[in-house]
Amino acid sequence: MPLELVKEEWMGKISEVTIGATKEEGGSRTSVVTVGGETGLSFLPSESEMPHRPVVAMEVWDVVPEDWPEEVVKPFKEVMDDPARWSKKCVDEYGADLICLRLQSAHSDFGNVPVDKVSEGVKKVLEAVGVPLIILGPGQDDRDNEVLPRCSEVAKGEKCLFGDATQDNYKTLVAACMADGHNIIGQSPIDINIAKQVNILIADMGFPLERIVIDPTTGGLGYGLEYTYSIMERARLAALGAGDKTLALPIICRVGQEAWRASQGKRERFSRLGHSFGTGTSVGSNYSCFPSCSRGRYPHHASSPGRGKCEADDR
Amino acid sequence: MSECKVTFYPEGKSVTVEKGEDLLHAAVAARVYINSSCGGDGVCGRCRVIIKKGEVVSDPTGRLSDGEREKGYCLACRTTVKTDVDVEVPPESRLEEEQILTEEAKVSRLAGLYSRAEEIEVISEGKESLFTHSPLATKVYLELPPPTLQDNISDLERLYREIRRGGDIPIMQTGLANVKRLGHLLRESNWRVTVTLGKRNGTVEIVFVEPGDTSGKNYGVAIDVGTTTVVAQLVNLNTRQVLSTKATHNIQASYGEDVISRIIYASEKDGLERLHHAVIDCINGLISSLVQEHNLSLNDIIAVMCAGNMTMTHLLLRVDPSYLRREPYVPTANFVPVIRASEAGIKTNPRGLLSCLPGVSSYVGGDITAGTLASGLSDSEDISLLIDVGTNGEIVLGNKDWLVCCSSSAGPAFEGCGVKCGMRAVKGAIQRVEINSRYEVKYHAIGEGKPRGICGSGFIDSLSELLKAGIIDRSGRMKKGLETPRLREGEEGLEFILAWEQEAEGDHDIVVSETDIANLIRSKGAVYAGVSVLIRSMGLRFEDLKHIYIAGGFGNYLNIEKAVLIGLLPDIPRDRIHFIGNSSLTGARQAMLSYEALNKVKEIAHKMTYFELSVDPIFMDEYTAALFLPHTDMKLFPSVGEKLGL
Repeated sequence: MPLELVKEEWMGKISEVTIGATKEEGGSRTSVVTVGGETGLSFLPSESEMPHRPVVAMEVWDVVPEDWPEEVVKPFKEVMDDPARWSKKCVDEYGADLICLRLQSAHSDFGNVPVDKVSEGVKKVLEAVGVPLIILGPGQDDRDNEVLPRCSEVAKGEKCLFGDATQDNYKTLVAACMADGHNIIGQSPIDINIAKQVNILIADMGFPLERIVIDPTTGGLGYGLEYTYSIMERARLAALGAGDKTLALPIICRVGQEAWRASQGKRERFSRLGHSFGTGTSVGSNYSCFPSCSRGRYPHHASSPGRGKCEADDR
Repeated sequence: MSECKVTFYPEGKSVTVEKGEDLLHAAVAARVYINSSCGGDGVCGRCRVIIKKGEVVSDPTGRLSDGEREKGYCLACRTTVKTDVDVEVPPESRLEEEQILTEEAKVSRLAGLYSRAEEIEVISEGKESLFTHSPLATKVYLELPPPTLQDNISDLERLYREIRRGGDIPIMQTGLANVKRLGHLLRESNWRVTVTLGKRNGTVEIVFVEPGDTSGKNYGVAIDVGTTTVVAQLVNLNTRQVLSTKATHNIQASYGEDVISRIIYASEKDGLERLHHAVIDCINGLISSLVQEHNLSLNDIIAVMCAGNMTMTHLLLRVDPSYLRREPYVPTANFVPVIRASEAGIKTNPRGLLSCLPGVSSYVGGDITAGTLASGLSDSEDISLLIDVGTNGEIVLGNKDWLVCCSSSAGPAFEGCGVKCGMRAVKGAIQRVEINSRYEVKYHAIGEGKPRGICGSGFIDSLSELLKAGIIDRSGRMKKGLETPRLREGEEGLEFILAWEQEAEGDHDIVVSETDIANLIRSKGAVYAGVSVLIRSMGLRFEDLKHIYIAGGFGNYLNIEKAVLIGLLPDIPRDRIHFIGNSSLTGARQAMLSYEALNKVKEIAHKMTYFELSVDPIFMDEYTAALFLPHTDMKLFPSVGEKLGL
């Protein structure tokens, strides 16, 4: 008798979020990215659909990052003072699906650059590349609330993905994204309930749930990955199994920043062996198989030259 | 097992008992009442009976002379039956039958629980009379026959004899202080005295003797010793009438808001001493103002019954509470013996008694066992829930067969502490709030006067109304830019004005701030999460609950609908939710007025299983899920979803 495989039947479906808009759609992107749409857990083609592959964004700052590990800086050294060129390099040379532009220059510790100048930078990046944009504020509530609405306005029609809406600070960003037709990231501190709450809060303002992407926050291998992964898994199970619409959303993870935060990333011993690049990579590739959309602060994944070697060494 | 027929004479009453049963129990079963001071321990020698026919086995006893033994005398409590027997109960061993009033009296008599002497007055049976009236301490007026050459027993025994004439009191004690004064006192008062009898740990004690008839001045105070609030109630022990109730903030709060910080403070130099004095000062203040209000003297207060959480009980008795918070979290004593109130520093009659209701564990104390008694939860077949919304939100689940409980640190927000305009549920506290769609506010303050602040029920109303009116979002944050002057930026962020300065008593607006709301949400979240975990861990669902009793210092008003709307209480049919007020105080009063109730509390404390939330992995999860209005999971609150249009 042939063995019949047990198939899990799910009642929920992850919503699809499209980032970017082409000329016909009112934007100026040459490509758009759609994430989500899964009808089951990832990578089980026999049991469910996964219409969109995971995508990788590469992170670009609008100020020269000072404390990035040498290995990460190396390939971008010459372009880091120009976000537009930096972005272009990511797309042209490394094949980034999206650019994640972090408006760090607005941070009070990184220059406190005025809003006009910051938004000007956004415009330049939009002109320089054709891929969709993820735009992140500096992560300071008051600065975020000043800078992000203006940048949202500047990028109106481009259907960017803006972040971060948090439990303590979401209203300004939601209002801006609603007005300018962008998508939004709901971020929560490794807590499934707060993840859900943030989404509800955003949706309660009249923002469509189908334009929210969850950032559940993550950690590197050995730095809490197991736990953060379990939160993502629970969110997925609630979305698929219990039909919880407020969690049936694509997930975005900041893999790069977590991977490179690991002390190994900066230690010379690893660096010398040429493995530090790989540290980010192996974590990153593990991760991106779960989320529908992932991105790194630092370059990683398929484009990273250390990848194959790292995996071999890991064994 | 063979059965034997025991017949008691002269009445000729028979009863069939199992072979090996003792005669004292057989007598009780036959409704023949035999004296027994020691409660069947074989030491008092008062239960002498004569075996007329049949075989018995008697333990050796020094209480009978050889001559008596030859005549067939034996002690009923030490004698078991082997065959059918005929027993004669001599007059000296006999209790007059009319001394026993009820069936209950008979049953509990042997355990030394009950005596008719304390049944001063039978009042009409109201709700308060669920339990037999037999207070912790009470007064009896006695007119003693003066001694003569024929009746020459000692003064003390004379007193005992007269007391026992009023009822069966197996074991009686008297302190030396009383004995010393007795001879003079009895003669000076012309053998007319009032004796205060107290129940101390299974025995009856002559607390004190005073000349003349003061039995009308028979008062006790029931006290709910809360972490944040101390409430005292003056009760007439004769009539069970509640004369008045007063509350005050527990001034220990200045040494720490919650029990943990107080336990830590207690370990500092003089900390225990200070905490002890703080709560004693509160209690003394309350008692003396109650006494003054009713033109009584402190001497008239002869009993104090306290119900408090374990930390409060420890501190009240000046017992070091430090082990309560150290693993494995063991209290020094769950069952504290009855002591003199003065030993703890409480000012009442110098010889007045103090009893503290027993607790279950370090974090579930006498307030909860008292509340369980008051709610009647442990008397019913139905599975019910008791939630005491206090600084520690204690939760009890169960029925007459089993009880589980947990404690969830809710914080004092619902008691009006840690919130900007919070106050206790006393005159001037806003307790009802309505806000319409134009953000206009209607409120009602206790005592009809000008408002001074907001109490717990007022906060529940406010939260629910702010949410309904769309002034706050589901995480409790206020929405900026609403067109109303009532919403403004205050010192601690946004705040909503319930009452303007000119309407209020005092020189400031009465507001609810965003910070207050966050506090209240944490409180209600902790309570709900505790309930949720407890119910789930027993394999139950909210629908299985037949009753939910809500207790807490909400005054006399709690809008259950609104409490559900904010997610403090689960969304179950409203007629199953009952607000029972300060159940700790009610339970303390019941236990003070009835020894039967007091024993019931002990039974509850023994029966209850404590569930430790802090080691439960689901709790934190449930807690964050509950930090939302009404809850993160709207499926748990279908009726609220409908109401809010979600």
